[in-house]
Amino acid sequence: MLKKFKKALSLVVCLIIFLSLFTVININNSSVEASSKIKITWMGFGQPHEKELYTKLVKKFMERYKNITVDYICTAPGQEYGMKIQAAMASGKLPDVFYVPPENLRAWVDAGKLLKITKYVKASKEINLNNIWPQAISRYMYDGKTIGKGDIYALPKDVGPFAFGYNKTMFKREGIPLPDPKKPYTWEEFVKICKKVTKDTNGDGKLDQWGTDLDVNWTLHMFVWSNGSDWLDNTKTKVTIDDPKFIEALQFFADLRNKYKVTPTAVQGQSISGYQRWLNGQLAFFPVGPWDVPVYNKLKFEYDLIPPPVSPRTKKPATWLGSLGFGVASTTKYPQQAVDLAAFLSTDREGQRMAYQMGLQIPNLIDMAKNEYAKWKEKPNNKMEFIRVVEDYGRRFPFEYTYDREWYDTFYSGLQPVLDGKMTAEQYCKQVKSKIQKLLDKANQKAKK
Amino acid sequence: MKFSIYNKEKVVGYLFILAPILQFFIFALGPLIYSFYASFTDWDGLTQPSFIGLENYKEIVLDDRFWKALYNTIFYMIGIPIGMFLSIILAILMNQKLRGISIYRVIYYIPNISSLVAIAILWQWIYNPDYGILNNMLYKLFHIQGPNWLYNTTWVKPAIIIVTVWRGLGYSTLLYLAGLQNIPHVYYEAAEIDGASSLKKFIYITLPLLTPTSFYIVVTTCIGGLQMFVEPQILANNGGPEYSAATVVFYLWQKAFINYDMGYACAVAWILGAIIFVVTLIQFKYANKWVYGMD
Repeated sequence: MLKKFKKALSLVVCLIIFLSLFTVININNSSVEASSKIKITWMGFGQPHEKELYTKLVKKFMERYKNITVDYICTAPGQEYGMKIQAAMASGKLPDVFYVPPENLRAWVDAGKLLKITKYVKASKEINLNNIWPQAISRYMYDGKTIGKGDIYALPKDVGPFAFGYNKTMFKREGIPLPDPKKPYTWEEFVKICKKVTKDTNGDGKLDQWGTDLDVNWTLHMFVWSNGSDWLDNTKTKVTIDDPKFIEALQFFADLRNKYKVTPTAVQGQSISGYQRWLNGQLAFFPVGPWDVPVYNKLKFEYDLIPPPVSPRTKKPATWLGSLGFGVASTTKYPQQAVDLAAFLSTDREGQRMAYQMGLQIPNLIDMAKNEYAKWKEKPNNKMEFIRVVEDYGRRFPFEYTYDREWYDTFYSGLQPVLDGKMTAEQYCKQVKSKIQKLLDKANQKAKK
Repeated sequence: MKFSIYNKEKVVGYLFILAPILQFFIFALGPLIYSFYASFTDWDGLTQPSFIGLENYKEIVLDDRFWKALYNTIFYMIGIPIGMFLSIILAILMNQKLRGISIYRVIYYIPNISSLVAIAILWQWIYNPDYGILNNMLYKLFHIQGPNWLYNTTWVKPAIIIVTVWRGLGYSTLLYLAGLQNIPHVYYEAAEIDGASSLKKFIYITLPLLTPTSFYIVVTTCIGGLQMFVEPQILANNGGPEYSAATVVFYLWQKAFINYDMGYACAVAWILGAIIFVVTLIQFKYANKWVYGMD
């Protein structure tokens, strides 16, 4: 019996040795390979058409650099990417090139996960920094204290100007003079037009056309910033949501539904999204991002871009300008080659042309955006508004300046009663301020460590 | 040492279960121990953790979000008895000699193996207050104006319970079906001779003999339920209105992967682990009071 057991045991041992042999051989193989050919991995996320674009670009890059192989990994958009990349960071197995959301930049740089790429960018023949939006690059600059100063840590994949749109067909039908994109509506004028178009068009006693229906998460900023206020002060250490100008803007936002009644009601608003109603042609105004353009251009009605309505206090428009970056891992064995790849993905002319024609983004290259893209025949006609957002009135989300966004999420998580008109903006902001300040302090403490 | 047949069987048995045991030691034990250590540290998940003793645990006690998430998680447990009741009924129905019975069995099992994203899209549509099928039915049948299910602090939890019950139904029905088919027919025959009605047969034979299955389902669904994450995450945005749909696991995930509070998240995980352990322990302790065949 014992013999048999020994036999079985030796069989298991043999099997283990046999299997481990394979890994040894594999390791040897890869080291042989590495000496002759460079292998770079790059990980991103995206919709299928984005994946298609980057697969083509990677192929083109490998044709140009014969000694480099690029392994492109594309995850689904959303939370999956964040978890994967954090796990890769914790285990020290980061891909050479990967997406960097600007809100994560501070944490990732402070943790030593991102490579300082300034000198490699300067050495790369792939990129001309003067021809890329400085508003994009500056988000990825950091001196250890402030975003926007110091070394470069990533190159922009894109900038996302969140402009405002109007339904031209509805304006014509309702006999409203078309807006002048150079002269934004004031809040008052905006409400007036909204009131005029909000009505029951088929006589069944139910409203089926509204002024607008805005998502608070993405558009409250237009009102707060234009009113000369913000979530945080300049030092990004104090919450300023109890500032009367902030409260006024939030109240105005809530009033659109509750006082002026120019948006769908709370229940209507949650059943069909504003986005869907805009697509149905039921709204006069709605935001437009470059990523929306392929869908919006297939709609049955005409639309165009204008600046968002402005507060009587400042008379200046404001909106959110998003971005995503290509970063290089601090652990990469091939920093120059990785930066070359990031620069290529960020600025290759053909790639940028494909990207705007697919409706993914506006070009990162300033000259291409202002000439070729602005004159492109596709709708919307006033594409220059996107460029004005980038150059003139687009801003970053406030949480991009802080170490984490818990304080910001907390502000939004209790906002519903204000939007439903069950609580005033003043009551809410004053009540929640200290809680949010505490969370911000906590985030800032993390940064100091 | 002499090897008896008994011992030989033991060795073979261990060899068979070696794979999962090794898997546990290699992939699970290390992270488990490390997360216990991490729960006593201030750790962002990126840099080196620094030891802070019981600080995380102290903070959790005062953290209203944690308590809210825990309350929600326990609230979701209402779905367990409802699901068990429905699956016993279904199992009995499916135990009949019906034409095409295997088709029914397949249909009820489909939700269990469907993609959760597809399920989320389906239910979001069902729950839509304007054009959703549920509110439409409520209105047509009873003239009730249904609530805005997923965006209402009161209704979001029942809405999610309905989805979890629906989703788990196939699995527990299958277990009950197996349980039913294990009950020897002689008991029913004996009861029939004594003149027992169908209801009496059900209460005095079927239910007691199904208790081992029920016990298994209670224990496993409690453990699973306390770890619920995906359904609320994809059905209710960002924890739901005023965080009314968030579960403990959702909360710890948010802490760990959105807010860089990995140490804190580990502490939440260990508290949850302790709760699960205690709940399971209590269930086993009192099992002999109601589970037939247990000592």
